[in-house]
Amino acid sequence: MSSAQIEIQLIASIVAVACAIPGTFLVLRKMAMISDAISHSILPGIVIGFFITHNLNSPLLILFAAFTGIITVVLVEYIQKTNLVKEDTAIGLVFPALFSIGVILIAKNANDVHLDVDAVLLGELAFAPFDRLIINGADVGPKSLWIVGSILLITLTLLITFFKELKVSTFDKGLAASLGFSPAIIHYGLMSVSSVTTVGAFDAVGAILVVALMIAPAATAYLLTTDLKKMLVLAVGFGIFSAIMGYWVAHWLDASIAGSITTILGLVFLMVYLFAPSKGIIAVLYREKQQRIEVSLLTFLLHLKNHDELEERHVKHLNEHINWQKVRSKSVLDLAQKNNMIHIENQIVSLTEKGDAFTSKAIDYIITNRDAQIEDMKDDFFLFRG
Amino acid sequence: MDITEYIKLVFTDYTLRTITLGTAILGAVTGMLGSFAVLRKQSLLGDAISHAALPGIAIAFLITGAKDSNTLLIGALISGLIGTFWIRGIVSKTHLKSDTALGLILSLFFGFGMLLLTFIQKQPNANQAGLDKYLFGQAATLVESDVWTMAIVTGICLLVMLLFWKEFKILLFDADYTKTLGFNTKTIDVLITSFIVLAIVLGLQTVGVVLMSAMLLAPAAAARQWTNSLSVMVFLAALFGAFSGVFGTAISASQNNLSTGPVIVLVAGVFVLISFIFSPSRGLLFRQIRFVKNRRDLELHKTLAFMYNIAETHENVSHPHAIKILNNFQGYTKGTLQKLVEKDYVKLTGNMWSLTAKGFNAASNLYNQQNETDE
Repeated sequence: MSSAQIEIQLIASIVAVACAIPGTFLVLRKMAMISDAISHSILPGIVIGFFITHNLNSPLLILFAAFTGIITVVLVEYIQKTNLVKEDTAIGLVFPALFSIGVILIAKNANDVHLDVDAVLLGELAFAPFDRLIINGADVGPKSLWIVGSILLITLTLLITFFKELKVSTFDKGLAASLGFSPAIIHYGLMSVSSVTTVGAFDAVGAILVVALMIAPAATAYLLTTDLKKMLVLAVGFGIFSAIMGYWVAHWLDASIAGSITTILGLVFLMVYLFAPSKGIIAVLYREKQQRIEVSLLTFLLHLKNHDELEERHVKHLNEHINWQKVRSKSVLDLAQKNNMIHIENQIVSLTEKGDAFTSKAIDYIITNRDAQIEDMKDDFFLFRG
Repeated sequence: MDITEYIKLVFTDYTLRTITLGTAILGAVTGMLGSFAVLRKQSLLGDAISHAALPGIAIAFLITGAKDSNTLLIGALISGLIGTFWIRGIVSKTHLKSDTALGLILSLFFGFGMLLLTFIQKQPNANQAGLDKYLFGQAATLVESDVWTMAIVTGICLLVMLLFWKEFKILLFDADYTKTLGFNTKTIDVLITSFIVLAIVLGLQTVGVVLMSAMLLAPAAAARQWTNSLSVMVFLAALFGAFSGVFGTAISASQNNLSTGPVIVLVAGVFVLISFIFSPSRGLLFRQIRFVKNRRDLELHKTLAFMYNIAETHENVSHPHAIKILNNFQGYTKGTLQKLVEKDYVKLTGNMWSLTAKGFNAASNLYNQQNETDE
């Protein structure tokens, strides 16, 4: 590994961490699309800032562009307040307009600006190590490393200082307000941090990857845990993993680093989405299937308890009576038999003692709807666990 | 170049005619279908779909190795649909909210698309140049056959919309009721969503992935301000969309270095701005005017009621009083007094005022009405 490669991976990882932290709160506050809006609408801010400072890495430009991001948020909120359109429409109206202005500004001044639209969307991570920061003639590393590093430092400081406030206001706005934390200050604080991070990361990884790095690790982590601290740690972990993996994939394919980091993020999300233990799609589908069978089983047992007549309890008759398909009735019969709830004699189904007791309990629960009745049923019954 | 000259050019010049026609048709169809997206609160779905279409374009190119716009659009359509249904899967099967799902699919698909695009650029296939025009769109690459495709798709959309108008409408405003009526809501839903995806994919070549969502939203959001009727809204949105296309093309054609897509989006944005401000029933301007007018009326009533309370204590209702005593009363202005005089409720003599019989009557009725409404 050359030092340039290490530097690129370092920058990518730091950006990933810096994005994952505000991203987690954005996802929890249901404001994920705001990050998309910000990442697009800072473009005119960057272009205008560039005209003023003539330096893409100037802190002034970052502040200027971040300010545009906050303007976007304010504009969106203003449009929402007029009640003329729905919230999401407001977002969808503001950022394409601002982005268009940015694109037009770049196109009109293509000769003066060393910015092209591809770089805006994708960033130039591969070239980041060439732009060195030189202090008193000494080379102290790439400029973007310093920029994203200081942004990460600020974000971390703010996170640790205001963790409690952020947590309370994210999960219970009313409580936060009554405790005296101004919701507006926290809201705009978070928006400012998101904007600054977006702008700082923008140069390195481009507009789209910023959004991906903010939302994807947080969403992936959210599928695995419901604990805020764990979620933050997981999101940071996913971010760093994707950044480093993404770099090597890009190296291997000779393609865009930003694109391949996003792709890895996507794959990680896909894996977790499919296989997460309790919230993954496979687990959810399995649970739904279990619950369906259990409801069927309960219906079936209740039917048996209600009918003493032989013809009502004939195996064939059950098919027709409760209107089930063959496969389904067979699987329900098997399940009941396996649990010693029923026994079948000459095609006549009857409840065993265990089944009888179980059904009575279930009826009790349905009638009283009191949780205490089902505590011991929970062990053999999936349905009541949720 | 003046306007008449430009209009003449639109009809004679092949490129300009094709582009103008293309953007106009595109604006019309996106406006039309965008109305449904906006009313279904799926505004940002368009943004996600248009980004999600990018890998489809790249994969279609990788498979066929040719840059035929129809096959690329089919690829875009497929990957847009996959993105849409994945979003639905995330929202319905996990506890992630729709905004997270949208942002996820948008950025992940787009990033994957960019990976493929940069990968393609390194391939020794001379054909690949120009694939990136799908990012921001390039109306100049439109040819007559593209316009025909758009026109045909628009025609199909229009036909299906007219056929299923009742179903679309009822699903839009009361999904549960639709279900109880026995309509297959899922099919109608998929139909609408697929058409929205189709409209977005059509526009990719002209406006590009990034700005396509605005084409879907802006005309519809503008049209919404002028009417409360769905049919009028769809019609207006189509009109606004078409005009954005035509004006945007005209503006970008008259200048160098102005890409058509962003200009069209900005023109559509101007339509939205005008609608927000000047729409008679919902617009901000008229809302403000109504607000001020209501406040004036209220002040007038307050002043009259105050005068009535003073006049009541005298045997002669027209007993003159000094204007000065009104000064302590909030809501009194010279303007309101003048208005009362105009209405013949009050007479002014020097710096004294007196209530007329008519004014006294009006005030006492006002008072009664207030009593009634209070109870």
